[in-house]
Amino acid sequence: MAGPSEKNLLKPGVYYLQGNQACAEGAITAGCRVYAGYPITPASEIMEHAALRLPQVGGRFIQMEDEISSASVLLGASWAGAKAMTATSSPGFSLMQEVISFAIMTETPLVIVDVQRPGPGQGYITTSQEDVMQARWGHHGEGSIIALSPASVQEMFDFTIEAFNLAEQWRTPVLVMAEETVAHMREPLTIPPQDQIKVVNRKKPQDLGISPEEFLPYGHAMVPPMANWGEGYNVNHVSLVHHEDGNVTKYNRDIHLDSVSRIQQKIEGNTDHIARVETRFLEGCRHLVICYGSVSRTAVEAVMEARQERGIDLAFLRLVTLWPFPEKKLREIVRDVDTVFVPEMNLGMMKHPITEALRDRCNRIVPIPTLGALHSPEMILSKIYEELK
Amino acid sequence: MTRHPMLKYLKEKGPAGPRMPTIMCPGCGAGQVLNYTLHAVDEIIHNDGTRKEDFVFISGVGCSARLTSHYLNFDSGWTIHGRSLPIATGALLANPSLKIVVFTGDGDAMAIGGNHFIHTCRRNLDVTILCINNGLYGMTGGQVAPTTPTGTATATTPYGNMEEAFDLCKMAETSGASYVARWTTAHPRQTIKSIKKGIGKKGTAFIEILSQCPIHMKTPPVEMLRDFKANTVSINKSRGHGEDKILIGEFCHMERPEWTEKYQKILEQFD
Ligand SMILES: Cc1ncc(C[n+]2csc(CCOP(=O)(O)OP(=O)(O)O)c2C)c(N)n1
Ligand SMILES: [Mg+2]
Repeated sequence: MAGPSEKNLLKPGVYYLQGNQACAEGAITAGCRVYAGYPITPASEIMEHAALRLPQVGGRFIQMEDEISSASVLLGASWAGAKAMTATSSPGFSLMQEVISFAIMTETPLVIVDVQRPGPGQGYITTSQEDVMQARWGHHGEGSIIALSPASVQEMFDFTIEAFNLAEQWRTPVLVMAEETVAHMREPLTIPPQDQIKVVNRKKPQDLGISPEEFLPYGHAMVPPMANWGEGYNVNHVSLVHHEDGNVTKYNRDIHLDSVSRIQQKIEGNTDHIARVETRFLEGCRHLVICYGSVSRTAVEAVMEARQERGIDLAFLRLVTLWPFPEKKLREIVRDVDTVFVPEMNLGMMKHPITEALRDRCNRIVPIPTLGALHSPEMILSKIYEELK
Repeated sequence: MTRHPMLKYLKEKGPAGPRMPTIMCPGCGAGQVLNYTLHAVDEIIHNDGTRKEDFVFISGVGCSARLTSHYLNFDSGWTIHGRSLPIATGALLANPSLKIVVFTGDGDAMAIGGNHFIHTCRRNLDVTILCINNGLYGMTGGQVAPTTPTGTATATTPYGNMEEAFDLCKMAETSGASYVARWTTAHPRQTIKSIKKGIGKKGTAFIEILSQCPIHMKTPPVEMLRDFKANTVSINKSRGHGEDKILIGEFCHMERPEWTEKYQKILEQFD
């Protein structure tokens, strides 16, 4: 890249930033040097900040003609060796699904931030968690996805870095499923010294001593090493079903099953390494609230109050990673509870994989849905009190 | 048997077995375009010191797009229908020293990818766009394209195409491309020369190559090539009496600041 200017990274310290700005700073810290985007509320500040900051660190920013092209830019940038990101909001996220599918099949590391707003249609421009299923199932075909769910300005920074690290480590597209709440919130952000921030870079065939003659673009390992364009490895990126060497053949069941199972299993089979949950008061609890994203901020308050005011034996569990869904982890830590409450800013989406995971671990699951705005703690509490009367 | 001199740029086989023959139908013009392109690239590699590894070939989806599929022994991407230009844009932003050549079809470039085509030319990004215009959608079975002549019956215009065809070169020129030319598969020397100029041009170069699809046009390839000769007239010779013919030649050849060059000025402020 042209004159990377480490000196223009944010100095360690405490800043007072908006979530969207923190996200863009996280990307830059992770090494993102190409940003492409198309304006949409409530995500636009990410691209505005990227437009300002990327040239300062030797990166390049471009405003594209739509979200399809914005996401497409990331493919070419990544193949040419850059870490690349785009951010959008829900209608734009719909337009990016084809690229996500291609990125999964070509095993292209890239990061897409979806600052969710309500739908369907243009909906509102307020907050939402209505794209969490689209994140997993919106792209055509098989293949898995990694999606993170930040709940604070600090996490908009931290999780964007983590998203790049996961993308590079697993050679796959990674989604940051933000919400307008955290995107427009302003809070203190602590930037640690650069040497305390973990930054992962993709494995290259050169690192493993693999010559261009021996190189298989989709071979060598569960996560194949990736050669950048311009380095003499003659890489063909193909999204047709392909052999390890990139060759496409007539329908071949073995190649089809092997290649597509591998790209699915490299994620699903490593869920324990990838997916995280956070818990409080879980040990031996009777009831449980499961939530994610900014809803966890009000949910944790509701849990504290129910425990203190009414002495209800209620625990808190937050999905930090939405996908791959940490089913095994959930089943390990939730053994035998009575009622599980699931507050979400949709009409009940993550409730489904939660129900599947806890099918024999709880007596009932009670969704607490709302649309377009955060639950108040009272909304969550009144449902809990009503159900546990 | 003497080997074709351009075979050195192709992958004939790999660990998964042979990659040849190509999927092109007998008489298809796409192979000719690949041959002309590789001749131009070969001359550039031999004469001006550009390294083979600096070239990247990108395409979308279609018969023409298959030229960057697994036969080509270069860095390449065989990508999404209509999106080859944004993908090229990304590669250029990551590494502006790459020599990017895009193979696209008339449908890929001007129907599904039309918006990206306009904006790539407007930005004057440093890519060479080679559009293999066969006047229809070859890959999907000969349906009408934005380039199909009015009146033509196709799989989706059984009563004849009632729409007007796009002039791709006019579109490229008005959108801001730095170099614009049209040839046909029956003009090998001119096409090779144009591709060399296009790759050498800092900015967007658009070269349309009229090409035959003998299968869907239900016409023998030799006849189609003969028609390309008979029905075209050079822009230098037309002088008003070739209006019923298709203009070929260089329509535009100018110097305009290229996108990454302009961005470089911003980058230098922070060095
Ligand atoms: C998103 C999407 N829509 C449609 C298709 C199906 N499709 C494949 S090639 C093609 C048309 C190609 O026409 P053109 O670009 O003129 O290339 P040709 O085959 O004629 O060389 C279409 C519609 C696709 N692959 N992807
Ligand atoms: Mg065509």
